[in-house]
Amino acid sequence: MFKTKFIISSIIFVTFLIVTSTIKNKTRILEKKITTLKVNILVKEKDINETQLDFFYLSSPKEIEKKLNTIGYHNYQPIAHSKIFLDISDFTKIHNKTSNLKNLNEKKIKKK
Amino acid sequence: MKKKSKKNKNTKQTSFYFEDYLETSKKNKMLEKTQSFQDRIYLLFFFFFSLIFIFSLKITLISLNQKNIYSQEAPNANYSLVRRDIVDRNNIIISRNINTYHVAVDPKLIKDKKNFLIKLRLNFPELPINEIRKKINQKKYFRIKKRIDQEQRDKFWAIGEKAIKFEPFQARMYTHGDLFSHVIGQVDYDNYGISGIEKYFDRELKDKNLINQPLKLTLDSNIQYIINKELNNAIKVFNATGAGALLMDVNSGDIISLISLPNFNINQRNSIKDKKYINKITKGVYELGSIFKTFTVALAIDHKLVDTHTIIKNIPKKINCSIHKITDMKEHPKNLTVEEILVRSSNVGSVVLAKKIGEEKYKEFIKKTKLTKNPTIELEEVGVPHKLKWNNCKLETISFGHGITTTPLQATALYAAISNGGKIITPSLINDRKINKFSKIISAETSMKLRNILRKVVNSEYGTASLADKDGYYVGGKTGTAESYGDKKNRLNTFISVFPANEPNYTLFVMLENPKLNKDLIYNYRGIKTKAQYNTSGWNSVYVAGKIIERIGPILAINNNEFTNQHVVEKFN
Repeated sequence: MFKTKFIISSIIFVTFLIVTSTIKNKTRILEKKITTLKVNILVKEKDINETQLDFFYLSSPKEIEKKLNTIGYHNYQPIAHSKIFLDISDFTKIHNKTSNLKNLNEKKIKKK
Repeated sequence: MKKKSKKNKNTKQTSFYFEDYLETSKKNKMLEKTQSFQDRIYLLFFFFFSLIFIFSLKITLISLNQKNIYSQEAPNANYSLVRRDIVDRNNIIISRNINTYHVAVDPKLIKDKKNFLIKLRLNFPELPINEIRKKINQKKYFRIKKRIDQEQRDKFWAIGEKAIKFEPFQARMYTHGDLFSHVIGQVDYDNYGISGIEKYFDRELKDKNLINQPLKLTLDSNIQYIINKELNNAIKVFNATGAGALLMDVNSGDIISLISLPNFNINQRNSIKDKKYINKITKGVYELGSIFKTFTVALAIDHKLVDTHTIIKNIPKKINCSIHKITDMKEHPKNLTVEEILVRSSNVGSVVLAKKIGEEKYKEFIKKTKLTKNPTIELEEVGVPHKLKWNNCKLETISFGHGITTTPLQATALYAAISNGGKIITPSLINDRKINKFSKIISAETSMKLRNILRKVVNSEYGTASLADKDGYYVGGKTGTAESYGDKKNRLNTFISVFPANEPNYTLFVMLENPKLNKDLIYNYRGIKTKAQYNTSGWNSVYVAGKIIERIGPILAINNNEFTNQHVVEKFN
């Protein structure tokens, strides 16, 4: 009777000892991982903050104008929207329309 | 066990009773044994459960408590902002805190002083080595460099000296340098606001509950830049000593741009004591001159004393009032309509109208508009207008803007009220704020009439602001020649415009301090190429305002067909 109880209690003891140590180790590993991850997040946050600051500095109107001057602002000129054609067929259609109108006008003038 | 069983089989037993007693005691002993065994098991359970409970508690604490871990495990990675960002209305960052370091030296930890100083000199030749040597000899902890970046920190680290200590520190960075210097202000080394928005909203900017929410302003970085650039150009072209501009939404009072020149780079920490660096728009107190004629005309029309086309007959060339002789700069016809008085900017005509209005009504108007009180805005740097004494000739001089002082901010806000249908608005720099109910200063009908007259100041033949007549923007406005209070030599040429005049959205105030006549500048004056004739605002401030409106108009999305029909392409030649 006593023997069996002793064995049971020893098994329980050993089991709990193993479980506890495993949990303890797992906790420690988790703790380390969480800390590393949190530190990484903080570093990334810091980097993002500084990168954003750099971005807003580099894209500020003053900096953009500086870059524009180096690229060559004077190489660009405004053009009317009506003169921009995205398709060659659009261009030919409008061109034909205007030439037809011109012909009609010329004919009218001749008749007069 | 065997011995015990033998003992139990006692042969010398004499009575049954005794035998029974022995049985009971045996049972009791057995019970005691099992109980103690159970107790041990309970104790074990308790012990292990306590351990498991402690570890589970620790896991919970780890997941809840974050800061303790960083401070113990990674002190250098501690990154929590101490001050909120400030952004413009397009969420462009204007100011933000970044992590920097101060480098200090603890002389007690230096092993080889000579070697340490040599290393410092080699890596950082700019450091004052002699001073550092003296401080090391005094054996007191001291800083050798402030606000260093990560790169410099690594360089110090590479020296490999224990005595070098890094003190983490958060520095405030301003992405636009000098662009918002008069509005944003600065913070001190301890991150306390010392001027501008940084000071006014110091508590809100440090609120830890809102630390991740930026403080959003009504300002627009792009528009601010354009106006700043045009004003800087104007200072060069007209050889002025300073300039200022204010762009405001007439319906909400949102300040889209506020510039006062000269400005300064707020990333550099210099003590500025020169008066020329004051915020001319909110702190500058001036006699704003002819700009006040609009208020006189507005009052006369609103009280139905006259209408826009009422002819004021026999306007004298000169009015004597006490020691003052009130005249006009140019000679005007004897009979002028109310509209013409404003369009031609007649001083004498304004005096005639003011007399019709009377002192009481004018007093009430000034009281209601709070022109002579401190301006209301989210800045510490505000001017105090001179206390108004209604003595002899005050009404006459006030009618054309003399003998009364106010700030450009208040004058612009009043122009906004006059052009928005009469609603008095409170200028503000803060986006998404609560807007209180508006009180009215003039009727919507008077406001419409005034807008038409202001438009004529710009586009009619006798108007004084023709150079601001930009196609598609329907600019209206009034010119003024102002004087700095207490310094009559300090001349200010101003122009307040409202646009588009048919249904105003914005009001723009432009001023140039002590501008000179530019004889070389050729203007396009009503289609004719000409040179400046007078050193009046019509030839400088108006010209600058026109240029500004032309550039900011497309950004403000004012319907301008000429702009929307134009796109940029690369030149082929």
